[in-house]
Amino acid sequence: MLVGYEVPVCAQLFIEVGSPVEYKNVKGHIYDIQGYAVHDGPGIRTTVYTKGCPLICLWCHSPESQRHEFELGYLQIKCLGTGVCENACVNACPVGALSKNEPVEALNGSGLIQKVSIDREKCTGCLKCAEACITKALYPTGWDTTVDEVYERVIKDRGFFKNGGGITISGGEAMAQFEFTLNLAKRLKDSGVHICLDTTGFAPAERYEEILPFIDLFLYDIKHMNTETHKKLTGVPNELILENARFLAQHGAALQIRVPVIPKLSDSEVNLRATAEFCASLPRDSVKLVQLLPYHKTGRMKYERLGRKYKITNVEPPNDEFMQKTLELFKSYGLNAQLH
Amino acid sequence: MQTTTQFDVPVSDRIQDLREKRKRINKDLRLNVERNRILTEYYKANPNQYPILKRAGFLYDWCATREINIDDDDIFFGDAGPHTRTVHFDIEQTSPFWFRGNFGDTDERFRAAWQVPGSVWVSDEDRKYLLEAADFWENNDIGCTARGLFPDEFFEGPMGQFAKYLNGSYPGHFNPNYEKAVQVGFAAVRQQAKDKLAEIKANTTTDNVKSDIFYRAMVKVCDGFILLNKRFADAARAKAETAPTPERKAELLKRADSLDSLTANPPRDFWEGIQTVLFYQNLMTADGLHWADSPALIDSYLGPLAENDVKTGALTLEQAQELADAFLLQIGNQIIMFPKPDNNQLIEAHKEGKTLYDLQGAGQNIAAGSLITLGGQKRDGSGDYTLATELFLLAYYRMRVAEPSLALRVNKHTPQRIWELGIAVSKRCGGFPQFNNDDVIIQQMLDRGVELEDARRYGVFGCVEPAVAGKEWSMASNCGAFGGGAGMLQTLQTVIHGNYDPASKTERPGDAKKLYEYNTFDEVKEEFVRLAKTGLKNMERMNHFAALVFETAWPAPSASVMMEGCMESGKDVSAGGAKYNATGTMTNAIGTVTDSLYAIKKLCFDDKTITTRELYDAVVSDWEGKELLRQKILNDLTFYGNDNDEVDELATWVTDFWLGFTNTLSGPNHGHVNMGILDLTWVAGGKRTWATPDGRKSGEPLSPSADPRQDVVKNGPLSYVKSVSKISWDKARCGGAINIRMDANSVRGDEATAKVRDLISSFFEMGGLQFCFTVADTAVMRAAQKNPQDYQDLIVRIAGFSAYFTHLALEEQENYIAKYEVAV
Repeated sequence: MLVGYEVPVCAQLFIEVGSPVEYKNVKGHIYDIQGYAVHDGPGIRTTVYTKGCPLICLWCHSPESQRHEFELGYLQIKCLGTGVCENACVNACPVGALSKNEPVEALNGSGLIQKVSIDREKCTGCLKCAEACITKALYPTGWDTTVDEVYERVIKDRGFFKNGGGITISGGEAMAQFEFTLNLAKRLKDSGVHICLDTTGFAPAERYEEILPFIDLFLYDIKHMNTETHKKLTGVPNELILENARFLAQHGAALQIRVPVIPKLSDSEVNLRATAEFCASLPRDSVKLVQLLPYHKTGRMKYERLGRKYKITNVEPPNDEFMQKTLELFKSYGLNAQLH
Repeated sequence: MQTTTQFDVPVSDRIQDLREKRKRINKDLRLNVERNRILTEYYKANPNQYPILKRAGFLYDWCATREINIDDDDIFFGDAGPHTRTVHFDIEQTSPFWFRGNFGDTDERFRAAWQVPGSVWVSDEDRKYLLEAADFWENNDIGCTARGLFPDEFFEGPMGQFAKYLNGSYPGHFNPNYEKAVQVGFAAVRQQAKDKLAEIKANTTTDNVKSDIFYRAMVKVCDGFILLNKRFADAARAKAETAPTPERKAELLKRADSLDSLTANPPRDFWEGIQTVLFYQNLMTADGLHWADSPALIDSYLGPLAENDVKTGALTLEQAQELADAFLLQIGNQIIMFPKPDNNQLIEAHKEGKTLYDLQGAGQNIAAGSLITLGGQKRDGSGDYTLATELFLLAYYRMRVAEPSLALRVNKHTPQRIWELGIAVSKRCGGFPQFNNDDVIIQQMLDRGVELEDARRYGVFGCVEPAVAGKEWSMASNCGAFGGGAGMLQTLQTVIHGNYDPASKTERPGDAKKLYEYNTFDEVKEEFVRLAKTGLKNMERMNHFAALVFETAWPAPSASVMMEGCMESGKDVSAGGAKYNATGTMTNAIGTVTDSLYAIKKLCFDDKTITTRELYDAVVSDWEGKELLRQKILNDLTFYGNDNDEVDELATWVTDFWLGFTNTLSGPNHGHVNMGILDLTWVAGGKRTWATPDGRKSGEPLSPSADPRQDVVKNGPLSYVKSVSKISWDKARCGGAINIRMDANSVRGDEATAKVRDLISSFFEMGGLQFCFTVADTAVMRAAQKNPQDYQDLIVRIAGFSAYFTHLALEEQENYIAKYEVAV
């Protein structure tokens, strides 16, 4: 409580113990909040996706999560043509990065329309066009928010959180917006909600130490065991990630380790064995589950929206047989493993 | 409860064959003329017989003279028609215009419509007969009775044509008392009627003289049913003589013995139980009650028979499963002709390679809206799940049939395995079963005066409508025959346009205000309430008269013979004999109505960004030249389905008022009037509906039933479900379901099953009544690519927003299909 400040009786009702008022306004950059995020931990979960990640994984299915700053996204099928909005986006652009395309037949049968193209070279990312766009075909990849705003949104879904369900804070890398993530976790913990933190493990150890008491389950990625390869695939080495995993495991964290299985990139037997060995070397009671995540192509579409290139176009999802074999391999190390 | 084997038990060869046969027959259907011939001849020969004796006399004749059809591969016997899967229609309830138009057409056109491959076959002889019969029925059908007692006002206005002919106003729509048919049997019921007759004979009074007639009709119906069993017994025995194998011979002889036993006793084993249900259903179909004739709680009373058979070794689990599979294939054989297409439509359809079967309600309602309810509670409130619950659920899983529909009652006693089976079936069969929340539905029943022990034994009929199984005549005026005259959406349109019809650009007489004449949003709401009450009171009046049509000349003795209350009171169901009486109807488009009210409130009164005049002009012109405004409405407003209290409270308000007011109305025979939320035709309905203030253009689909318009759902399934939970489900006594389409990805695997269960039970804890889900299915999406006009309502969720599938560019469609092309 603030000393020397008398809180009105009625207001006291709204201040929950342990969630000091000043924490509520801590700002964050997020790009999505999704209910029924069934891939982000136990039970029914609502996931908050923060923006910005120190890793850039080649197979990343959320390219919009990578940069901290908001980018311009363009979902062309939502554009109804510049006739409807009277060239709103083209006029709004201060640097002339937007231009009208050749007329095409509208999908809704309204005749010929002219959609727009973005010259990404010219675009400065000022997002004025997105502000002007009525249909939100042009959109910023995220928004500014506060701990309190996010809390108010996600707590609405509380009625669904049974059998282990709750909130997952994911990214990007949520630990990169540490103050926001920590305070959101505290706020949620006060309300008795089950909290998962989905992390790459790439953040200073003391931050994990600080947030540990507020996290019920870490969804922790191990992407490759060879640090050189790790660097090639994700842009960063893996020592810190492995150290943090050991640290958390030794300090009572519950871990659900997630291993992406990317054909040609991380699916060698050597690497998979090393990964399983590493998981098995951690204190047994801390590793609750190892999930094997087969590569999928869901995110490819999203790169186009950001005007970026998807880099691993020659990779196909692994077949079921291989995944089954990999599962057996992990189980042979005595791990509670699962295909996801 | 015993546990059956897992999902992967192979389907037996016999069942495979039956399933193949059924598929073959779907391309070669025949019209059931036999029943209509027997009926016509009986009614012609007995013009002055008392209505219920006439009906019972016809039923007896039907049992005595109908063709007995035992096919070589039959596991169970009997179809309601002379062939497997005959298409039924009721000549006494079908407009003579339809006969004249179709069968009186030129020979060439008649043949093109009814005698080419794929048509529902009508022979030259049948054609001639039906035309002659039409001459008789023109002066004797249900429309004649209606015209003989309706007040003139009914024939005016939009429902006028319907009132004049009442065609397609089918009785039925109830949960017949199959339980009594199985547990007591027809022979014992016959004796009950005989005893009642003896009592009256000893002391006949004004009060019981009509009951004497009623009981005689009951004896006649029982005699017919018993004779039907006897005739099938004889036929089975005769067929055994020429059986191709000794096994089949032994089987037929065993079945003949069973059928003989059924002439005097209730069913003794699982086969006899199922056969009784099927025969009773056939009898009611002959009586014209097939529409939504829904067997409820069959697992409750067939379960002990199945369990006993397995316990004594009379059946292995695999054999019991085979019987359940065969039952499901057979009970869906009652096909109804709905809608009734004319020759033009049929000829067109045949040109496109479609059959009348394809036209039937776009694949819905083929089995006459029949629905099977499984699970629930015993009279004492304990859970009622048996071996048969599993067998029948598994039968759906294995047979993958689209009819009849399936409801699964869930409560705190529902075993985990039943949940798992239910969810597995739903993933496979698309929306079957609907899950029903016992807590809400039982409370609703108590609210309308049903005794607790009876409320616990409810069933669901038709689409979503709960009723007391075997004790309630639940659609006394026939599917709220006139419910369509008082729609929520029509009321909204009148609130906006007054008496002006923007489609025809005509002003009708009346004193209703236009949108720009309101000064506050409260005035809008008040006018909505005033108009709605007028419409609903009018419906109440019409329903009373509609029920009287049936009481006067169209009783339902095959329902009354088992229905609790009728034997006790000596009255037919149409005269109020059942223990409980009700009628009901549906409202729809909660999303469109809510969003429209919200757009008016938010734009014109709260934020005042535009005037009521501007909004009115935009809507009345179907957004002509107002695309910018329309896009702002679509994109800037947060509509119903996003867990936004500001808009959802209007959904609560409008349903609370609409359903609550209906609950105060009086129904026929002192029954209740139940209102539900359901719409089978939101695409077609949308085509007929002018633009609405929520940004919907004229002709675009409406929001389906209680669901949000899914293209405005921004926050995913939890917010969607939560918004829908805010509707006043406690007052939706005629049911209504949330139907959510889930990505194949999100329902894969055991873990996902647990999450789906959490989703359903959370919705139910929030007060939800029923829940259905379907999985975005590749086959459906492929079909939608081929025939986009038939799939206007197919909505897919594309990473963060939803879109009509048919509006997507081909590459986006392909991308979506590829994404979800995974095993469910």
